[in-house]
Amino acid sequence: MAALGARGSAALPARLRALWGLLARRALAADAGEGRAAKPKPAFTDEAVQTLLYKMTGLDLHKVFRPVKQGLKPPNYKLMTEAQLEEATRKAIEEAKVKLIMPPVLNEREPIDDVLAEDKVLEGTETAKYVFTDLSYSIPHRERFIVVREPNGVLRKATWEERDRMIRIFFPKEGRRVIPPPLFKDENLGTVFQQDRHEDVLNMCIAQFEPDSPDYIRVHHRTYEDIEKRAKYDLLRSTRHFGGMVWYLINRKKTDGLLIDMINRDLLEDATSLITLYHMLHPECQSAKEAKEGNLQGVDLIKVFAKTESQREGYIQLALQAYEEAMATSSAS
Amino acid sequence: AFSAGSRLLRGYRGSHVVIRFALGGCTNRPFYRIVAANSKRARDGKYLEQLGCLDPLPNAYGEKVAGLNLERLRYWLGCGAQLSRPAEKLLGLAGFLPLHPMTVTGAERLRRRRQREQQPEAAPADGSAEPGTAP
Repeated sequence: MAALGARGSAALPARLRALWGLLARRALAADAGEGRAAKPKPAFTDEAVQTLLYKMTGLDLHKVFRPVKQGLKPPNYKLMTEAQLEEATRKAIEEAKVKLIMPPVLNEREPIDDVLAEDKVLEGTETAKYVFTDLSYSIPHRERFIVVREPNGVLRKATWEERDRMIRIFFPKEGRRVIPPPLFKDENLGTVFQQDRHEDVLNMCIAQFEPDSPDYIRVHHRTYEDIEKRAKYDLLRSTRHFGGMVWYLINRKKTDGLLIDMINRDLLEDATSLITLYHMLHPECQSAKEAKEGNLQGVDLIKVFAKTESQREGYIQLALQAYEEAMATSSAS
Repeated sequence: AFSAGSRLLRGYRGSHVVIRFALGGCTNRPFYRIVAANSKRARDGKYLEQLGCLDPLPNAYGEKVAGLNLERLRYWLGCGAQLSRPAEKLLGLAGFLPLHPMTVTGAERLRRRRQREQQPEAAPADGSAEPGTAP
């Protein structure tokens, strides 16, 4: 797989910060970033974490701009000089970076439980509840007023499920259906995973659900588990879901398969960034302390990590040996 | 007051803007649109602006769905629009306006009627049971 263009560390594009400011500021009381930033543990949104995850995601232009199923059009050929080609490649890299902005990773939302008024007089008059939605166009969906008048006269704020349903009904969006497709049920996800369509499932999930809804989190976790079980990390590499997957695996300390896959594909820098991120998130583990004392780099870091933290130490040693032999033969020849 | 709302009504004499329900849908399937219209217009005729909708039949989740564009509603109320009685009752239920007094009166009347229906059932039931139990 030829990776075109530079994979250097990029400054976070301004749009990423704007997008995340929007979601982080809209108050979720148990927001992951704010909660964890108070203690020394780094959050998904930190600059350092984001740069590491972005480096690991890779930038394979052929995969990012892989043909999406569209209407049939004859191909468009252009005649360019070298300079124009470089310019076009540079612009393509910029667009690819925008396409690789990672979707947010948030904690599950707290249930809403707020009563606005209690009118005992209305008890027994109605048989069904009324759901009132504020349809003013300029309000963000998070701040919209959606209230429910129960048959017993209580006027309360709507639950998250009711809110989602009303917003799906009144504000249709492309890719978001009023009734979530049965694809997202657990029994049907297995079928899609058989066909290796993890990325499509995740894209559909992002279009359909909110990032902090339990369905979104469940689908994402199922997908990451399946990928980790079958070691198909390459399906998500160079997509915007790779960062989220790495975050999930590191938090649950299941990084061995990913490490072996990276070494087998000769991506040593990715492997070192993975281990650096692991140490940032679990600073009290033994390999973190050893690495900090010895100030290790590269292959030594991986060896220390393999000895102390990993379960599949043998496999990692084998992969490292194979890699070193390959380096030796290639440098010799 | 001379505002944009009253300026639009130059064609009619003695009319005003009302916010009311316009009925749509099919047989045995009503659907109301909450609409700001001239009072002289037909109920389902040309309106100034649609401010929301109400589905009077409960959906699969047992809810009657209503949408209200509160921003525009506030604009028309500020222009001097009047509300029809069902619109006032709906906004009272929503919490935008205080509860309509007729809603409260209707609820109390319903409760009293139900009580009266229960008492005559209780009284003849007692009357018919007693000769059986009493020797």
